[in-house]
Amino acid sequence: MKEKPATVFVVDDDDAVRTSLRLLLKSVGLPVETFASAQEFLDGFDAERAGCLVLDIRMPGMSGLELQQRLNEIHAIVPIVFITGHGDVPMAVEAMQHGAVDFIQKPFRDQDLIDRINQALEKDRDNRAGLKERDAIRRRMQQLTPREREVLDLVTQGKANKVIAGDLNVSQRTVEIHRARVMEKMGASSLAHLVRMVIEAGRAS
Amino acid sequence: MDNNADPAPPAAPAGRPESELRALLDAAVDAVIVIDHAGRISTFNRAAERLFGYRAAEIVGQQVNVLMPEPYRSAHDGYVQSYIRTGEARIIGIGREVVAQRRDGTEFPASLSVGEVSGSQPPRFIGFIHDITSRKAGIDALRRERDRAQSYLDLAQVMLLALDLTGRIAMINRKGCEIVGYTETELLGRDWIEWCVPEARRDAARAGLQSFIAGTSAQPDDAEATVLTRDGASKLIAWHATLVRDELGNIVGTLSSGEDVTERRRAEQALVHSESLLRSAQAIAKLGNYEVYVPTGPAFWSQEMYRILGLNPKQGPVPIDVFTADVVHPDDRDRLARELQRAFNESGRLDLEFRIVRPDGTSREVHSRAQFQPSADGESTVITGTLHDITDRKLAEAEVRQGQERLTHVGRLATMGEMATGLAHEINQPLTAIATYAQAAVRMIDSPGGTETTELREPLVQITNQALRAGEVIRRLRAFVKNRATRTETVDLNRLIEDLRVLAEPDTRVNDVRLSIDLTPELPAVSADPVQIQQVLLNLIRNAIDATLEAPAAPREILVQSTGVADGVEVAVVDRAGGIAPEIAANLFNPFYTTKAAGTGLGLAISRSIIRAHRGKLGHRPTPGGGTTFYFTLPPLPGA
Repeated sequence: MKEKPATVFVVDDDDAVRTSLRLLLKSVGLPVETFASAQEFLDGFDAERAGCLVLDIRMPGMSGLELQQRLNEIHAIVPIVFITGHGDVPMAVEAMQHGAVDFIQKPFRDQDLIDRINQALEKDRDNRAGLKERDAIRRRMQQLTPREREVLDLVTQGKANKVIAGDLNVSQRTVEIHRARVMEKMGASSLAHLVRMVIEAGRAS
Repeated sequence: MDNNADPAPPAAPAGRPESELRALLDAAVDAVIVIDHAGRISTFNRAAERLFGYRAAEIVGQQVNVLMPEPYRSAHDGYVQSYIRTGEARIIGIGREVVAQRRDGTEFPASLSVGEVSGSQPPRFIGFIHDITSRKAGIDALRRERDRAQSYLDLAQVMLLALDLTGRIAMINRKGCEIVGYTETELLGRDWIEWCVPEARRDAARAGLQSFIAGTSAQPDDAEATVLTRDGASKLIAWHATLVRDELGNIVGTLSSGEDVTERRRAEQALVHSESLLRSAQAIAKLGNYEVYVPTGPAFWSQEMYRILGLNPKQGPVPIDVFTADVVHPDDRDRLARELQRAFNESGRLDLEFRIVRPDGTSREVHSRAQFQPSADGESTVITGTLHDITDRKLAEAEVRQGQERLTHVGRLATMGEMATGLAHEINQPLTAIATYAQAAVRMIDSPGGTETTELREPLVQITNQALRAGEVIRRLRAFVKNRATRTETVDLNRLIEDLRVLAEPDTRVNDVRLSIDLTPELPAVSADPVQIQQVLLNLIRNAIDATLEAPAAPREILVQSTGVADGVEVAVVDRAGGIAPEIAANLFNPFYTTKAAGTGLGLAISRSIIRAHRGKLGHRPTPGGGTTFYFTLPPLPGA
């Protein structure tokens, strides 16, 4: 793989908090990059880079929540761990609703933060793996003929061959042949497997 | 005048010898003249010769009217003729006063009695003439005397009233008439009590008069009694009465002098009333007044002076040196003595608050103001002044001040409460950094390869710095919320604003508002309580934050500015939010008026009272381009 190792991106406007986080994460061997503002992070953002975001929820200028919103807008999948103050639970809830992995209140135990970061990095790995899988499924689906695609849609809707034959106005035998071809092209081991792949492919991005 | 009859020889009186008659006539004191019916003189006795200056020999046979001046001379013949013709006597048997003329032409008053000589035909008349010059002069003198007395009576500014035994008016002078409003003619002979005493008092007045006349009371009436005037008004008369007796000592009436004291009594009552008002006013105000002549002379203290000082009015005013030495509180004696000296020597005024100690040991706060002026004779100084017991006011002021301070403190706490989120954040940041640095350091020590101790230096330095940072926030916070008495010191407002940043910035930061500060260098220092001024400023910044949050489209900026202005230093908090609606502006400074869900409505009211107490002003104006600018000014230090 040509990919860089997964990196922890820390965005916090407070110098001391930012620098201490960098020191802590480095001490546990995590690659760290720090940013003093959301804008600074966004300017250098590369969607291809694996890792997670440790984000202060309150910041002057663009806040943590606003950064999350921007990232969602460009379909970035980077998992976010929010750092919040004591009074920021409502904001944290909002962040979770918009897909944040977790939040942690300041000040925090180092292990709690590291656990959440690891969780986020794992999620990033999963996301990126899922993304690859989805791409593969979509590629296989693109190899289906239009008739095979119709049969796939009806099969995954749970219709029996006989019903599909009626719908498409072909013989039941013909349906069986298309269906076997679809299973083969998609590399599906069972009908359940096929359905899972279709759902996975139907996911956004 | 019929003068043409021949003179007839005088007839000898019948029955008497001529010589006897002659002797009789000549011995008579009065002049005796006999005339005939034609008015010719037939007899002229010695006394007549002396009186008129004629000798009998030359006058006998002449007309009697030569003894009269005109116009009597011409009228005389007519009288005689008229009497003879009609028998109607004008003078005969009656006697009258006439004017007679001597030979030398001089005239004199005379009494004349005329008789007809009985039995003579034609009739003859005998006249007796008496010079009444001296009697007349006496009468004139008496009349003049009486007129003068009357004019004295009339001139007298008192009513003079003589009553007879039945109470009828025998005499009343002009002043009396004036007082009761009747003319003398209307009053004379009238019943005084019936006319001039109010009905309700008539019986009493009559009884009084009777007992006075009977000698059983000293006065016929009360010394002061009401008199009823013609127009129905009442007048108060002060009476003095005496009994009038005739030559035999019999009481014939009363003579009274009465003085109209209506106005005087009214004035006296007004004076009494106003004095009592003054006394009450002084008691209510706890304000006494005094007038003292120094070094010697009379001293006057009003009642309230004694009350304030707890002294006995019977003992009279305390001399000024005793006052300073004994009455004044020991700690204030020197100060008062100094001020008195200054008033005597230079200023002529005293305006001083000091304490006095009452005999019972309690002390009072008093305020005295006085003027020092030379007395009329130049011998001494007159001190005229007031002494005001301001103890209650001082207590009230102290209570108000304490209340104000409590309220100010509550306001500070409220402001702090509103800023709590930001401040918690501000303390949480260094705590987070400390915890994180410390945990990183531990991990570094625990790492399999171990760590050089020098690598631990950086986190430890950072931990120290962050602990100090948190401590500083807490220190300022404590200084701000601590309940404390107002303390004024010399303040550089620019430094105060810079110091405030630590408290203000967290609040703006957590609300995602940018706080910028623009200070004009070298501003004059002011005299202020720094914590209270910070309170005002924080309150204005809080309001600006709230206003900014309420206007989502507005630039999220707040500017704190200091500038020099004509009347001192102005500090302004400028927001770019929505401005203030007129109906809100009208209530802005009213206590408990708030537009915020969690507001107390005290912030601006307290801020304004703080600034007023600093002799400054707090106000607002629109920010050019939108928003509101709240500002306050503080006067420069005197001499700064």
